[in-house]
Amino acid sequence: MRCLLLTLLLAPLLHSADDKAQEFFEMRVRPVLAKNCFACHTGSKMGGLEMRSRESLLKGGKSGPAVTSGDPDHSLLVQAIRQQGELKMPPQGRLKDEEIEQIAAWVKSGAVWPDAPTAPAAKAGEYIVTPEQRAFWSFQPIRKPALPNVEAKTPIDRFIVAKLHEKGLEPVKPADKRTLIRRATYDLTGLPPTPEEIDAFLADKSSTAFEKVVDRLLVSPHYGERWGRHWLDVARYSDDKLDPTGETPHPNAFRYRDWVIHAFNHDMPYDLFVKAQIAGDQLPEPAKTAAGLGLYALSPEFQDDRVDVTTRGFLALTVACAQCHNHKFDPIPQTDYYSILGIFNNTKMNEFPLAPGAVVDEYKARKKKADDQQTVLETYVRSQGLQLAQIHATHTADYLMAVRKDKLDDREKNAAAAGLDLETLNNWIAYVRKPKLEHPYLKPFLDALAANKPEAEVRKIAEDFQALALEVFTEKKTIDDKNYIRLGGSSVRSDLSSADLLSLERDKYFLWRDLYDTKGVLIYGENGIARFLSGEFRTYLKTLRQDLDRYTKEIPEQYPYLQIISDADSLKKQKLFIRGDRNNLGDEVPPRNLTILCNGGPPKVFTKGSGRLELAEAIASPDNPLTARVMVNRIWQSHFGTGIVRTTSNFGQLGERPVNPELLDYLAARFIENKWSIKAMNREIMLTSTYQLSTDDSPKAFTADPENRLLWRANRTRLDIEELRDSLLFVSGKLDPKTGGPPEHLTVDNKRRTVYGFVSRKDLDPLLALFDFPNPNATSEQRIVTTVPLQGLFFLNSPLIIKETEALAERIGSTGDQAASIQKTYRLLFGRAPTAQELALGTEFLKSNKDQPWPKYLQVLLSSNEFIFIG
Amino acid sequence: MTRRELLRTVGTGFGTVGLTHLLSQSASAAPHFAPKAKHVIFLFLNGGPSQVDTFDPKPMLTKYHGKPAPTGNLKTERKTGNLLKSPFEFKHYGQCGTEFSEIFSKLGACADDLCVIRSMHTDRPNHEPSLFMLNTGTPLSGRPSMGSWLTYGLGTENQNLPGYFVLCPGFPVIGPQLWSSAFLPAVHQGTHLANFSKSEPDSLIPYIRNEKYTRDDQRRQLDLLGKLNATSVADPQLEASIQSMETAFRMQTEAPDILDIRKEKPEIRARYGDGDFASGCLMAARLVEKGVRMVQIYFGNGQPWDNHDDIMIHQKLANDADQPIAALIQDLKARGLFKETLLIISGEFGRTPVVEVSGLVKVQNGRDHNNHGFSTILAGAGIKGGITYGATDDFGFKAVDKPVHPHDLQATILNLFGLDHTKLTYRYSGRDFRLTDVEGEVIKGILA
Repeated sequence: MRCLLLTLLLAPLLHSADDKAQEFFEMRVRPVLAKNCFACHTGSKMGGLEMRSRESLLKGGKSGPAVTSGDPDHSLLVQAIRQQGELKMPPQGRLKDEEIEQIAAWVKSGAVWPDAPTAPAAKAGEYIVTPEQRAFWSFQPIRKPALPNVEAKTPIDRFIVAKLHEKGLEPVKPADKRTLIRRATYDLTGLPPTPEEIDAFLADKSSTAFEKVVDRLLVSPHYGERWGRHWLDVARYSDDKLDPTGETPHPNAFRYRDWVIHAFNHDMPYDLFVKAQIAGDQLPEPAKTAAGLGLYALSPEFQDDRVDVTTRGFLALTVACAQCHNHKFDPIPQTDYYSILGIFNNTKMNEFPLAPGAVVDEYKARKKKADDQQTVLETYVRSQGLQLAQIHATHTADYLMAVRKDKLDDREKNAAAAGLDLETLNNWIAYVRKPKLEHPYLKPFLDALAANKPEAEVRKIAEDFQALALEVFTEKKTIDDKNYIRLGGSSVRSDLSSADLLSLERDKYFLWRDLYDTKGVLIYGENGIARFLSGEFRTYLKTLRQDLDRYTKEIPEQYPYLQIISDADSLKKQKLFIRGDRNNLGDEVPPRNLTILCNGGPPKVFTKGSGRLELAEAIASPDNPLTARVMVNRIWQSHFGTGIVRTTSNFGQLGERPVNPELLDYLAARFIENKWSIKAMNREIMLTSTYQLSTDDSPKAFTADPENRLLWRANRTRLDIEELRDSLLFVSGKLDPKTGGPPEHLTVDNKRRTVYGFVSRKDLDPLLALFDFPNPNATSEQRIVTTVPLQGLFFLNSPLIIKETEALAERIGSTGDQAASIQKTYRLLFGRAPTAQELALGTEFLKSNKDQPWPKYLQVLLSSNEFIFIG
Repeated sequence: MTRRELLRTVGTGFGTVGLTHLLSQSASAAPHFAPKAKHVIFLFLNGGPSQVDTFDPKPMLTKYHGKPAPTGNLKTERKTGNLLKSPFEFKHYGQCGTEFSEIFSKLGACADDLCVIRSMHTDRPNHEPSLFMLNTGTPLSGRPSMGSWLTYGLGTENQNLPGYFVLCPGFPVIGPQLWSSAFLPAVHQGTHLANFSKSEPDSLIPYIRNEKYTRDDQRRQLDLLGKLNATSVADPQLEASIQSMETAFRMQTEAPDILDIRKEKPEIRARYGDGDFASGCLMAARLVEKGVRMVQIYFGNGQPWDNHDDIMIHQKLANDADQPIAALIQDLKARGLFKETLLIISGEFGRTPVVEVSGLVKVQNGRDHNNHGFSTILAGAGIKGGITYGATDDFGFKAVDKPVHPHDLQATILNLFGLDHTKLTYRYSGRDFRLTDVEGEVIKGILA
């Protein structure tokens, strides 16, 4: 994804006689040039020197040729980096000695500069896709291949068996029916089958028995919860923003999640599903499709995120790798990255209200009224507060003297006698007695108090302090006025970081802050200040507050809305960032389709608004060689554990090649034929004999294909976290089947399916993290499966396990007949009867454990491999 | 089976017994050459400590205080003004005579053990990219952290504990992405302990205690589990699952004890002093002693060292850092761990020698971010003590002599662990990634 390429990787790719020289250049020279020179000497050609090729160096710039091949000492480039002569490069500092040596050595050996595949950023239009690149498998049009001439149950099986035969292999025997229904039920719903469902399937001896099971599962509302989640991995779905300081939920994120689940349940054609997510607001029925825009509106907002999720998610192309330079391996010019980026940069975050316009307008108007009133109130309180503080400050010495002789018993009396305000005196006392108070201006007074100096002497010190207190007030005001002018008559600017402003010197500022800032000794807030106001002033304050309270109460509850993007109000021209540096702008790059997807012609420029709808149509087109292939491969991965192409989000050079390209094309063609129906694809795959194989071993096949890439058997998989947690709740009878709605954290009391749990970018739920849930900050192509002791602790000790084993024990309702209870348990958890040995082990365990035998026993069964793996 | 395939199916993390023989066959499961370091403790002074007030004395700065910098101000995040001298005194320490600011006098007393790199520089004057750079080797998000690379490359020596701990009272800016394993297997992610000094140790590792059943009960359960699982077919993933359950059982005994610093001798605790950072340093010593690969301690929540307004705040911060770091060095020596533990002290960047005057500060006695030059201290395993390396210009603005980029530092750290930074790679989304991207040179001059 985001990348500078590892130049090291080039080494194995170079096969010419110049291998070593090229490798030296790629490893030792180009990185140094790229880091120190290219910024000024590629696009912008400073000093007339362009460093793009050997030729351009030989040609040189205004000072003459940069390189004399074979003669470093007389090459201007080497002289400049040695910094011995007049010209010293790079200007930002001398290179490391070894870097200089290596560049000199490179010049000496002839300054070999290979062209392909690492041409530097080209200008728009310069990029040429070579015939070899165009011939790459994933860019070829999808053509339905002829079926292989072998005996097998379905067309898909014929492709699989043909490949096996090439290696002299045969598939293992089919799975037994019990294993098969468990596999299919988890596969389509993420839940285990009930004993009744198993019985029905076992009892159905017809040839269509399994077909009936698949069809039943495909219409289950739980189907979308399972298959929608597969897509949510790709969509890096989360319920909050990436805010490290706290949890900042996206209040309506779940509406995107629910839309995805709904789309899968209703088998929304995949081409529409794609278009909805890119341009759902611009389709004929936005009410049905706009929610899909959550894909972008819920972005983690990294600079390359939207390009990355679009191109890897839909097209399995790593376009985000081309933000600093042309893609090193795939025919993706840097301009392609900026074309797509420009499309999304011409959008804005928006809301799509799910309420009538009048309701929305009403809410917004009421909200604004209250907000404006709040500002008026705060401004009034602050200005009155400062005036009052200035008045109180003129009595500072009196207050300090009162602090000096203060004793709690007669504080009130003393204050009254001295004509001081009691509350203000309290503030002063609290301030002066602060244990950690350090202030150079107050120090003489504190010292005098500590030394018990005579009254007259202290009085003098207090009066000096008072003069200072009044002075900083005035000085601050003067500085604020000057800064106001420096800021062009406004105290509000979006970016103050580049403003050159004045400030009080440090010690004075801290005195000002302690006395006059919003929490200062002399400052009263709204409640405190009322006491000092009279007449009209007081009435005004009261009115302001009453109005604010009324306006606030009048704000209706906010209407529900979708979080979407829409086109920006005014469209900007996207420029290329040279070397990915946003401060170094290159040529304009119009919004358009990816170069490689334009059949050799110039990329088609998009003209409608941001170009999103046209991009969506270009991606969701049956002529796009990638979209259908990528999705059927994802579907295949979800059924079998790995894809036909294992790098499901990278169909480029560095991705893996399809293990069975004809099968992939067959599936892609069928997908389009069946109007992009995902359920039809599920069905076709599951009804193959390949899907229905057992996980049996075959020494011969294992030797030939240990990773089972050719699918001579079924893969055994561990329950993922959704399946695991949902299954625990399901077998204990506690699973809440409610669908949709706002997310809730996955506490032990939350009995809903895991897909509805709160997914956080900031702080991923520890249970999800423990069981390999993907990082929701980037699109995820596959779940990694780890097995670690911390997961063992979950099975040993987690409150969820304890709670659900107790609930399950209750459900089993163990009575006198232990053997019968064990039978019942096995049927419920594993859909089978226990063996004699298992029965004996269970009986023995229950007998030897006096306290809570059943929950303990059930905990063991729920931690067993049979429960947590799918055969 | 490639390592990646193995990880995909079974995971490793704690070098699960029974899998180690499989792992040792792959190049990245073991060091590439003989290591000098076994552990690393990374003390991260987050926010950007000022080099000219701590480890990089600049007499010229004092001399020209209040005047414009003769070389002009380099571009940093915000508007800056004239030169601002350090309010702190520098003194020579140890036999080596390295100078330290008075606010780090106790650390200064360890000078003969320390290597002060005074020529660090990084790419951007902003927290996020620089935090990413120091921790993950790229200014963007989405890459694995150094600790994840280390545990991925080397595993851990203690099967009963995670290999990579991150201690922070709260969260640094950016948060968990700084210790993320990104595309490496999730097991290599840092285990973050947020309230480590205030919480019961039991609460620090999820599900470490069982409230209902005794250890004997659990032993009987595991025995039954073993017998039931034994009937299933041979399969490495099934085997790994069985092993992880047994390791988890043992972990329950060991882990909470190690994390409980109350079990430490009072005189040792007293040496570290009070506070979150001090507790973190002591916990780090205990974790490393038990074989944990990397412990990273963030100084505080948010970005405490980010003193744009008032550099005097550094004094208060240093007061909480100085004693614990010095105590940690002494304690590591006493435990016989100093020679095998690499200690790193660094922020994400330094601060300007010129005062910040931007509209965002209320008082102009602080410094802006500075990516052009800052200091990092290394000590312990394989590091030459009692030296300084490289230099900034006369005012401490920019690294000019032997500049060191975070990639060089990372290459050096991996080198100390016996890892070639160009060979520790992971293939993801079709390409090989490494901690140092395409850069990085080992800093030979600081190696013992």
